[in-house]
Amino acid sequence: MRTRAILGSILASASVLIVGYQAGTAVTTSNGSSISLPIGGTTAGSSGSGSSTSAAAPAATGPSDGTYTGASVNTRFGAVQVQVTIAGGSISKLDALHLTNADGRSVQISNYAAPILRSEVLNSQSTRVSNVGGATYTTQAYLTSVQSALDQAGA
Amino acid sequence: MRHTLETMGTVASIELPEGWSSELGAIAAIFEEIEQRFSLYRPDSELSRIACGELALAGASIELLASYSRALEWRSTTSGFFSPHRPDGVIDLNGIVKAEAIERAGAHLQAVGCPSWSVNVGGDILVSPTGEAQLVGIADPVDSSALLCSITLSGSRLALATSGSAQRGDHIWRGGSTELTHFVQVSVAAADIVTADVLATAIVAGGPEALDDVTGRWDVDVITVDRSGALRASPGLLRSLVTNAAA
Repeated sequence: MRTRAILGSILASASVLIVGYQAGTAVTTSNGSSISLPIGGTTAGSSGSGSSTSAAAPAATGPSDGTYTGASVNTRFGAVQVQVTIAGGSISKLDALHLTNADGRSVQISNYAAPILRSEVLNSQSTRVSNVGGATYTTQAYLTSVQSALDQAGA
Repeated sequence: MRHTLETMGTVASIELPEGWSSELGAIAAIFEEIEQRFSLYRPDSELSRIACGELALAGASIELLASYSRALEWRSTTSGFFSPHRPDGVIDLNGIVKAEAIERAGAHLQAVGCPSWSVNVGGDILVSPTGEAQLVGIADPVDSSALLCSITLSGSRLALATSGSAQRGDHIWRGGSTELTHFVQVSVAAADIVTADVLATAIVAGGPEALDDVTGRWDVDVITVDRSGALRASPGLLRSLVTNAAA
């Protein structure tokens, strides 16, 4: 499940970019195998549940171990290329994920915000924190916020 | 030592080391000065006088023009997703002055040599570049008494700003559009609080398109919550997640 989620997130990251810029693209890797990317207007962003497993479906048939360098895909914004290392049936490394934009500037799309599951952030929740960030709260909302409790505890 | 004070329609929580409480007065003065200049809730503020036509923009103070100019630059770099103009044309610098207030408070504390501090105004947080890394939580927009996650602020991620519709309704203008925003909450961690705040606002206003644009062009980390409750996070944010094992 975890593997599928990660695989899904990464492929979704790549697919959203590629689908976004050039609908209907499949990436053929240098060693002849291919990494399927969801096409035809289905982007990770449109899956209402936000679950990344749906995007993983095409690739969940069990990739072989190895390093796969995606073919350079030309989009109207420039070339996109992805290198994926798969070990033990799961993605262990993702490299050289880049996009060159219209100005010729290389953009690190490795910073792409991919769908994640709540379970992936769950174990950070109860850590002892002294500050809580949130959408601006009014003085009234503040009184019912975690921050208010923390402030009382820290006073 | 934790201090709280009401300002700018919300509450500021300021953490100062023992013996540094005397700086609180200076910080309160910074906030008061900013509110007196920029608040549209105060009819006698400089910005209110401009809004009602009593004062011409050309006659505005250097400070107000500087903030307005900075906001206009952000409007350009975010393709208009962030804007200092209300749909009715009134200049509203709310989207940037709170962050500027936090920035100034932080600059003051650094200037006087305060070794470790945090300034949280209404859920936007800046921590000291000196001292230990600080753990901060991000509120769950579905339940403001619960946390979505906790992250570490240090190094090139000293500021965390969150925008959204969870607490104040849909207060972010979206080009006059009345459609619901795609994201109900967007948190951005950046090196400085103005960048974090403006970009969080821009992503709420611009939706997924703005999210991709921001993470591609700025050195920031982001976590978003959409209307269905689904999350998106940048890789850097996931790396900065605090785990119970590490805490």
